[in-house]
Amino acid sequence: MATLQIENLTKTFPSHSKGEEPVRAIQGISFEMSGQVFVSVVGPSGCGKSTLLNIVSGVDTPSSGTVAVTQDGKPAVLGYVFQDPRLLPWRTVMQNMLYVSDLPEDEGRENAKRYLEMVGLEGAEGMWPGQLSGGMQQRVGIARAFSVHPDLLLMDEPFSHLDAITARSLREELQTLWEATKKTVLFVTHDVAEAVQLSNRIITLAHGGTVFDDTAIDLPFPRRASDPEFAAQQAEILGRFETMEAERAEATG
Amino acid sequence: MSVASILDRPSIKRNPVGRALTSTWGARITFYVMFLVFWQLLAMNVARVPAPLETFEFIWTELTWGDHPGVRDGEWVEHLSVTFVRFSIGLALGVLAGVIVGIAVGSSRFMRSLLSDVLLVFLALPAIIWAFLTVMWFGLGWKAPVFTVMLSAAPFVAVNISHGVRAVSPELHRMSDAFGVPRNRRFRSLLMPAIAGYLFTGLRFAFIIGWNAVLLAEWFGAANGVGWRSRLWYDGARYEGFVGWVIIFITIIFLVDGLILTPLQNRAFRWRKSGAAGIELVEMDHAGFEEGRAVRGA
Repeated sequence: MATLQIENLTKTFPSHSKGEEPVRAIQGISFEMSGQVFVSVVGPSGCGKSTLLNIVSGVDTPSSGTVAVTQDGKPAVLGYVFQDPRLLPWRTVMQNMLYVSDLPEDEGRENAKRYLEMVGLEGAEGMWPGQLSGGMQQRVGIARAFSVHPDLLLMDEPFSHLDAITARSLREELQTLWEATKKTVLFVTHDVAEAVQLSNRIITLAHGGTVFDDTAIDLPFPRRASDPEFAAQQAEILGRFETMEAERAEATG
Repeated sequence: MSVASILDRPSIKRNPVGRALTSTWGARITFYVMFLVFWQLLAMNVARVPAPLETFEFIWTELTWGDHPGVRDGEWVEHLSVTFVRFSIGLALGVLAGVIVGIAVGSSRFMRSLLSDVLLVFLALPAIIWAFLTVMWFGLGWKAPVFTVMLSAAPFVAVNISHGVRAVSPELHRMSDAFGVPRNRRFRSLLMPAIAGYLFTGLRFAFIIGWNAVLLAEWFGAANGVGWRSRLWYDGARYEGFVGWVIIFITIIFLVDGLILTPLQNRAFRWRKSGAAGIELVEMDHAGFEEGRAVRGA
């Protein structure tokens, strides 16, 4: 079982010019998640969501605090879906899948095919990324992340660059894929509705990089935005955030 | 406007004669015709400029193993193949050295500080200096042309590659980091294709400069080859022979560029033929070309 433990994590970036305060992206975040859960981290832009994900993936290092990703006590395998597809434009879809694969050639192909089928891209193996629409490219990105059999799957606003209709159908596919594979997912988004639709649990960050709210979502899947409980859940999270912002504005005001 | 007349309009462009005259080929042919006229006029008015017809007659005799008056048989195959072997070895060594130095300079700040001035010096040195130096070092023979080609071509490859390495998308590097892609696979699938555009720009310059270099080196430091053959005619004050050989080696540049470099480039950029992802990189490649040209001018 994959476990992510974050304890008292802070990240400070040096200031751009002399005399300026260093930028505190994250100030003391702690939370833990494990098992077959889909956890979303939401918050306004600049609250440290992407920094958090970069540190968890090991691309960036924490200033202080600890981050541990383990799979039954051993270091875990990570998968990553980025905001943009980040495919190699000079490699075909299949070659892009094999680029991240550790399996022997034949097995890697079989495996890649399976995940491409799961995102509805059977037959596109030989195409160049430039021949695919943005939504299809992001599907390859999702298939690629699932294909490495990650213990923990990290997703950084993967639908934010897509049009609303494409994003909607990709969300549904992701939800199906997650139910089929039951991966441990850490999903970052600025869209509360998206978080409510996909997650078991939503962690809200406030400006300045602190955990403000941590809510479990117990609605059954698939969830519909037209469902009153869906709307209530969304309103509740946004409402708490607004109240907090208002109180803070009063305190500093 | 009737439907028929709308449908008619594209047919102007489909008319083969109309298209031929406005095509890039039409423009090229116009250039060659004007050039020939200019050459003919020049030859008629200036001493020691051979006429076009005289020159083409010479080329024909040379290429058909005919006897030139006063000089026995045209041994063009022998000279061309000797030159080609020297040129190919020199170019291969130059490209290899250029790629290694270019990757080092492009990926390490230390190497950049260490080598950027040296590279500039190498770029600024004309091939003729290398031709003299290598003849001085190695004497007459195959070494002078080979090393002249290598030393003249390498810096152009190196500079273009180093620009290419620095232009590789940091996003794709981070993606590769996140998935823990091994170094050798990253080199093959990320770095090399990303710098291919720069590599081809570098190769083109290296090819043209290397070809000039081999001719110069042979002119001064060999007893056979195309360069030597040109000099033979020049020294004999047989200018139609000299100009004839100039035309032969320019033709070779065109042939190799069209038959080898262009198809290779098209193969490497198959992925660009369709879609948005390619456009950005075509522009990047264009920037690389501009940079290469700026460097060439230095």
